Amino acid sequence: MSNALKQSFDLSAFWEYRSILWQGLIFNALVFLCAACVALSVGLGAALFRINRFLPARVVGTLHVELFRNAPDYIMLVWVHFVLPILIGLVIRRRVEFHPFVSAVIALGFVYSGYFAEAFRAGMQAIPQGNLDAGRAFGMSERLILWRITLPQVVRRMLPEALNLFISLFKATTIVSLIAVPDLMYNVSMVIQQEMRPLPLYTGAALTYFLIIFALSSTARAFSERWRQKIQA
Amino acid sequence: MGNWERLVWNQRDVLFAGFAVTIEVCAIAFVVAILGGLMLCLARLYVAPLRWVAIVLIEFFRDTPIFVQLMWVAYVWPEVFGFPNDFFTAGWLALGLQSSGYLAETFRAGIEGVPRGQREAAFSAGMSPVQTLQRVVMPQVALSSAPSIVNQFTVIVKSSTLVSVITVPDLMSQSQKLVNVWYEPIEILTATAGLYIAFVFLISLTGKLIADRLRQRFGLAAS
Repeated sequence: MSNALKQSFDLSAFWEYRSILWQGLIFNALVFLCAACVALSVGLGAALFRINRFLPARVVGTLHVELFRNAPDYIMLVWVHFVLPILIGLVIRRRVEFHPFVSAVIALGFVYSGYFAEAFRAGMQAIPQGNLDAGRAFGMSERLILWRITLPQVVRRMLPEALNLFISLFKATTIVSLIAVPDLMYNVSMVIQQEMRPLPLYTGAALTYFLIIFALSSTARAFSERWRQKIQA
Repeated sequence: MGNWERLVWNQRDVLFAGFAVTIEVCAIAFVVAILGGLMLCLARLYVAPLRWVAIVLIEFFRDTPIFVQLMWVAYVWPEVFGFPNDFFTAGWLALGLQSSGYLAETFRAGIEGVPRGQREAAFSAGMSPVQTLQRVVMPQVALSSAPSIVNQFTVIVKSSTLVSVITVPDLMSQSQKLVNVWYEPIEILTATAGLYIAFVFLISLTGKLIADRLRQRFGLAAS
């Protein structure tokens, strides 16, 4: 046992492969960035649907949120990678295939758009009606009101919640290795297949992710604390 | 429609066998998460020598992605600690440990939310610290954290799809096996996704109902 323990914390094997693992981590960051953009824009759209005056739009928005908030991200990933291209192919009558990276961005982006939509909606509903009425009285268009009055306040209010969601999204990017996006976990399992030494590599991967996410989440926590005091003052 | 009947309805036994394994893994992980979270939380608050151990464990469980933790528990632990010996155990253990980290923080917030005066009143009524915890503090914590506990169960169910990666025959892995046999992913994967979404939706709906009930009966601002 002590031998195994020593082996799993002997991270020299992990260090030896640092360049390929580093490349994997960059893929994690790329998937994260692209998926975050998708999640933010789709989430904003869904939130606007949910608070729309027209009932059908509200129904669509609510369906979107309930569907993606209740979906496990792994099954969505598999579904987007293996089913969605066939469905699109049936419609445009041509063979379609998604690059794993594209599938990963779509799946994670849409799953997290459900959570972001709720954050946006909560922020929008907290804005006093008087602000919107004042904007209209000045002759601003609805779009201008959204950009100049609503969104600046919403962003300020939802920032702490959004940081938490971003961290969850970053954690979720580890599963993209399962559809062969060459991220850190994927490269770790490739190296393990060659070296047959799972102990140091899995331990190293777990510690790497822990350190990154711990740093991110403690920064986010400290920042949110200050931010709350600032916007309350 | 023929495809749905052939690929999904006629395979319902396989899919339900997988669903049963999913429920089993999630139920065991849920119990582990509650007990583990309670222990971590109490150690952090009341057992001074173990305080830092508990904090490190809580942070480690919370800040490591579930997939990475699952692989780590499944492949590294058997060599280092001599258990878990099978992947089913590794699956619920990893799921339970991760959620225990989150629940420990939920319980701590609940305990710290009980006004100090109540504890002092219990002491002056002659209750021992254990009795105070048992009769005054914990019932309130159970009420205030009930919604978060249910929410954590949905997280467990969502993460449990990943145990298919370590060959536990859950719903996800059964449906992938069917896809590999028939080479027709559309109906099978869509049905599986639908089943998961419906299941998680049902749990969170139950959670909302429980929260409303608690609020009505006990007038608590459960959120």
